[in-house]
Amino acid sequence: MPRPRLPPPALFLSLAAFLVLVFYMVPLILTLWASLTPVRNWDIAQLRQFVGAENYRRLFHLIRFDPDVSTVVKTTIVFVAGTLTVNVLGGLLLALAAFIIEERASLGFRLLWFLPRMTPVAVFGLLWYYFFYPQGTLNAILLKLHLISHPVNWGQDVLPWGPWSIIIFVNGLVGVSYGMIIFYSAFKAIPKDIYRAALVDGARLRDLVFRIMLPLTRWHLIFVTVWQLLSLLTTYAHLFVLVEWGVVEKWHGMTWALYVFETAFGSAVNDQALASAAATLLVVVGIGLGLLTLRLMGFERELGAIRGEL
Amino acid sequence: MQGEGLLAGLLGSLKPRRRRRQPTEELPLASRAVSYTVIAALLAASLPIILSYTLLVELSFSASFIATPFEKTSFTLENWRLFFQGRLAPTAAQIYTPSYIRRMILDTLIVALGVMGVVVASATPAAYAFSRMNFRGRGALMRFLILLHAFPGVALIIGVYAIYVYTYRRLALGLHAGEAALLAYAFLYVIVARASLEIPMSTWLMKGFFDRIPWEVEWAALVDGASRLRVFTRIMLPLVKPGLAALSIFSFMAGWEELIYVVVFLPSKAPTLASYIHSQLSGGAIETAYLPVVAAAAVVYLIPTILFFVFTQSLLVEAAEGAGVKA
Amino acid sequence: MVEVELRGVWKRFGDFVAVKNVNLRFPDGKFSSILGPSGSGKTTLLYLIAGIYKPSRGEILFDGEDVSRLPPNKRNVGLVFQNYALYPHMTVFENIAFPLTIKGLPRGEIEERVHSVARMLHIDELLDRYPHQLSGGQQQRVALARALVKEPAVLLLDEPLSNLDALVRLEIRGELKRLQRRLGITTIYVTHDQSEALAMADLIAVIHRGEIQQVGSPEDVYRRPRNLFVAGFIGMPPANLVKAAVTRTPTPCVVIAGGGEYCPGEPLASKLEALGLEAVVAAFRPEDVVLGEHPMEDYVSMEAEVYVVETLGRENLVTLRLPDGQAVKAITSPLLNPRPGDKMYVNVEPSKILLYDPDTELNIEAIEAAPAARPVSLAGSPERRRAAQEED
Ligand SMILES: Nc1ncnc2c1ncn2[C@@H]1O[C@H](COP(=O)(O)OP(=O)(O)OP(=O)(O)O)[C@@H](O)[C@H]1O
Ligand SMILES: [Mg+2]
Repeated sequence: MPRPRLPPPALFLSLAAFLVLVFYMVPLILTLWASLTPVRNWDIAQLRQFVGAENYRRLFHLIRFDPDVSTVVKTTIVFVAGTLTVNVLGGLLLALAAFIIEERASLGFRLLWFLPRMTPVAVFGLLWYYFFYPQGTLNAILLKLHLISHPVNWGQDVLPWGPWSIIIFVNGLVGVSYGMIIFYSAFKAIPKDIYRAALVDGARLRDLVFRIMLPLTRWHLIFVTVWQLLSLLTTYAHLFVLVEWGVVEKWHGMTWALYVFETAFGSAVNDQALASAAATLLVVVGIGLGLLTLRLMGFERELGAIRGEL
Repeated sequence: MQGEGLLAGLLGSLKPRRRRRQPTEELPLASRAVSYTVIAALLAASLPIILSYTLLVELSFSASFIATPFEKTSFTLENWRLFFQGRLAPTAAQIYTPSYIRRMILDTLIVALGVMGVVVASATPAAYAFSRMNFRGRGALMRFLILLHAFPGVALIIGVYAIYVYTYRRLALGLHAGEAALLAYAFLYVIVARASLEIPMSTWLMKGFFDRIPWEVEWAALVDGASRLRVFTRIMLPLVKPGLAALSIFSFMAGWEELIYVVVFLPSKAPTLASYIHSQLSGGAIETAYLPVVAAAAVVYLIPTILFFVFTQSLLVEAAEGAGVKA
Repeated sequence: MVEVELRGVWKRFGDFVAVKNVNLRFPDGKFSSILGPSGSGKTTLLYLIAGIYKPSRGEILFDGEDVSRLPPNKRNVGLVFQNYALYPHMTVFENIAFPLTIKGLPRGEIEERVHSVARMLHIDELLDRYPHQLSGGQQQRVALARALVKEPAVLLLDEPLSNLDALVRLEIRGELKRLQRRLGITTIYVTHDQSEALAMADLIAVIHRGEIQQVGSPEDVYRRPRNLFVAGFIGMPPANLVKAAVTRTPTPCVVIAGGGEYCPGEPLASKLEALGLEAVVAAFRPEDVVLGEHPMEDYVSMEAEVYVVETLGRENLVTLRLPDGQAVKAITSPLLNPRPGDKMYVNVEPSKILLYDPDTELNIEAIEAAPAARPVSLAGSPERRRAAQEED
C-alpha cells in the first residue's frame, strides 16, 4: 500500500527556523559565552580564552564605584518607571478619550498618536533635537512667554531631571500608542449591549468608565504593563540617537541597554566582554518577564486547536 | 493580541469591507459638551507632536533656520535643490554628488525591501504551519517565539556582530573576496540579521490571519485533490492577502527606519538616509551641519510613513462610510 | 464507482468518543443517508470517509481496498460541506474548475467539463460571479458542481440543504435524487432531517451519540424501528412510546392504561414469553391512531382525555392523556375537532403496535434474530450500549 506523505510542517518552518537559529540562538550563546572571556576590540580570537566570572566582578565593581555607571543604573530605574507610567496611564487616557469622542475625530487622533511609532528613529530624533536644543522650539517659546531670560540647555545642564524628562518624553510618545490601541480595541470589544444596558440603568460616563470599561479590561492593563516593562528595559535606539547627538547628557540619557551597546560598539570603549556580562543580566530579567507575559496572555487560547488529521 | 491587536485597534477592524450600508447608531456615551472638552484636551496634548512635525516640514522649505513653526521665514526650494544636488553640508568643504543622494535613497530602499522580502518569505509559511498543522512541540515553539520577541535585542547584536566579523574576515582574507562582493555581503547580512528580529512577531501576526480562514475551505481544496503545498499557494495565500499587505508594510517600515544595524554593519561608503542624518548630528558634526538641508532629507525619509498614513486613512474613511457611521 | 465500507471504526477526540465502533456498508451506486440528531457524529463520520479525520481504530475500505491512511487528495471523493466552503477569491468558474486545474488537465477540457456540469445544475449563467454574489441555493449548486466535476468515486454531502429555505429545499431535493440516479455515483448524504432521508435515500443509517442505531430501507426504518431511539426519532411527530404491563393469561398480553389490551400472536408471543418481561414499551405512530367516541372492534382501544389540539392545516394533531398521565399523540382529519377535556378512544390496529424491551430498548422482534450476525448489531447490543453509556 502506498504511503503518500504530505509536506511535513518542517518544510514550512524551515526558513524561519534557520534564521532564528543563526540570528537568535547562536548569537545568544556567543554573547553569553563572551561574558566569560576577555574579548575586546572585536578580537574574536580571544573568545577562546576563559576568564570565569571576571567580567561580572568588574561589572559589579563599576556599578559600586564608578559614578557614571551608577548613574546609568539610576537612569534606568527612573526611565523605566517614568516611561511605563506614561505609557500605561497615558495610553489608557488616550484610549478613553478616543473611545468617547465621535468616530472621525477619534480616528484622526488615533492616527496622529500612531505617527511617532511609524516615524524612522532618525527623523523622530531630529524632531526632538530641533525641539530641545538650546536654539530650539522649546526655548524659543519659553523666551517668548518670558518664562526664561536666556536659552537653557535642558538636556545637558539641568541635571538630572532635564535629560531624564527628555528621554521619558520622547520614548513615552513612541510607546504610548501601544497601550492606546490595545485599550481602545478592548473597549470596542465590550459588547455594545452592555453599554446600552448600563445607560438604560442610568449610568453616567464616570460609572461607565470605572464600573464597566476598566474592570472588564483589567487583563489588558496588566498585560500592557508587563509587556511595556519588558520593552522599556530593552529599547535603546531612540536613546542612542538622543545621547549621540548631544540632546541629553551622556550618562543621564543612558539606560542599561544602551550601556551594553555603547560598551560593545562605542568609540571610546570597545569592551565586548564587559558588555556581554551586562547583556546577560538583561537577558535574565528579559526571560523572567517574558515568561510572565506568556502566562498573562492566555496563551492556550491564542494557540488555537488544530482540526482534522491531514 | 500583539501585532494583530495593534492593527485592529488602529484600523478598527480588519474584516473585509463590504460596501453595504448597515446603519449602526452610535452610543451616546458622553454629552456634546463633554465630548468637545475631551477633543480640546486631546488637541492640547497633541500640540508637541503637531508642532514638531510641522516645524520639520516648514524648515525644509525655509530660507533660514527657524525655531518654531510660527516664525516668519520666506519660502524657498533652495534646501531641496541643495539636497538633490548632493550639497548636503554647504558650509563644510565636504563634496557630495547627486549620485551620492541616489545611492543613499537606493541603499535605504534595498535594506527595506530586503527585510520585507525575508520576513514575508520566512514568517508566512511558518505562520501557516503553526496555524494549521499538528506537530510535536507546536505549543512549545510558539511560546518560544514570544520569548524571542521579548528578548533584549542588544544582547543579540553583540553575538550577531561577532559572527559578522568572523565571516567577513573569512571572506576577505580566506577567500579573497573583492570589494564589491564584500559590500554585497554586508548588505545581505544587515538585511537578514535585521529581518530575523521581525520573525517572531510577524509569525504571530500572520498566524492570526490564517486562523481566521475556515477549516472547511482548506479541507475542500484537499478533497478537490490539492496537496498541502498547493492548498497553501492557491487557496490560503490569496485569502490572507490583507495579512500579507499588513506584514509587508510593517516589515518594510522596520527595514526602512533601521538605524542601529545600518550604522553598525554597513561601511560608511554605503550610507542610508538614517546613517546620513546620524552622521550630520552625531559627535561634533553638528557644528558644520546645515539643518534645513537635513530637514529636507528627513522629509524624504518620512515619505513611506506619510504614504502609510494616506493609505490607511483612505481605507479607514471607506470603512467608516461603509459602516454608516455619521460624519 | 465504488462500494464504501466501514469496519469497526472508532473516532476519539481526546477523551470524547465521537464515533463508536461503526460497521457500515454503503452499496455501490446507491443513495445512502446518515441520519441523526445534531451532535450525533454525522459530520465526523463523513470526514472519516473523506480522509479529513483518520479513524482512531478500524478501517475504511473503498471497493475492499483499505484507504484509512490515504489523505483526502488521494481518495477521489467529492464533498459538499455544510456551509459549502466555496473559495471566496475565485469566481464560480474557477471554483468549479479547481479540481481539474489541480489535475493539470488541458484548458479546453476543463472549460468543456465545467460548462457541462454547470449546465446540468443550471448555473451556467453564474460562471463569472464570485461566491458572495450568489444566493444560498446557487452557492449550494456551485458546491455540488465542484464536487461532481471531477467525477468522483464517492459523493459526500453534509446537510447540503440545511441553509436553504423550505421551497428551494424541496426543489433541489428532487433534482439531487434524479441526478444521482442518472450519474449512478455512490452517494452518502448526511442529514438531521428525516423527511430528506426518507424521501431520497435507498438506504438509511440512523446514528445517535456516535453509534449506529439501525440500518435499513426508509420503509424499514419507518415501519420497524429497531430500538426506542429510532422509534422516538423518526416520524413527524415521532411514534408514541407508552409504558405497558405484561400479563400472562396464560398467553402473554400487553396491558396499556385506559383499557388497552394487546395479545400478540406468534412468533411475538413466544418471544415475549421467552424474555420473561414484566413490562414493555408499546410504540405506535400518531398517524396510525384512529380517534373515536367509542372503542373499535379488532383494534386496541384506550380511553384518554384530550389535552391540546393543534391545527396543522391538512390535519389536526391531537395530544391526549391516558388515565395514568402518559401522553399520546394522534393525527386526525381536520374535520374532527375535539375539545380539551373531551373523553375519546385511541384506537390502534394491533399490527401497527411494536413492542420494546424497556431495558435494552430493543424491538422485541429484533432481539432474538441472532443480533451478532447483523452488521449493525455491535452498536446496538445491550452490554455494549450500557458500557458505552458509562463511558460517556
Ligand atoms: N475536533 C473535535 N474535537 C472534539 N470534539 C469534536 C470534534 N469534532 C466534533 N466533535 C464532537 O463530536 C460530536 C459529533 O460532532 P459532529 O460534528 O460529527 O456532529 P454532527 O452530527 O455533524 O452534528 P450537526 O448536525 O450539528 O452538524 C459532537 O459532540 C462534537 O462536539
Ligand atoms: Mg455536522
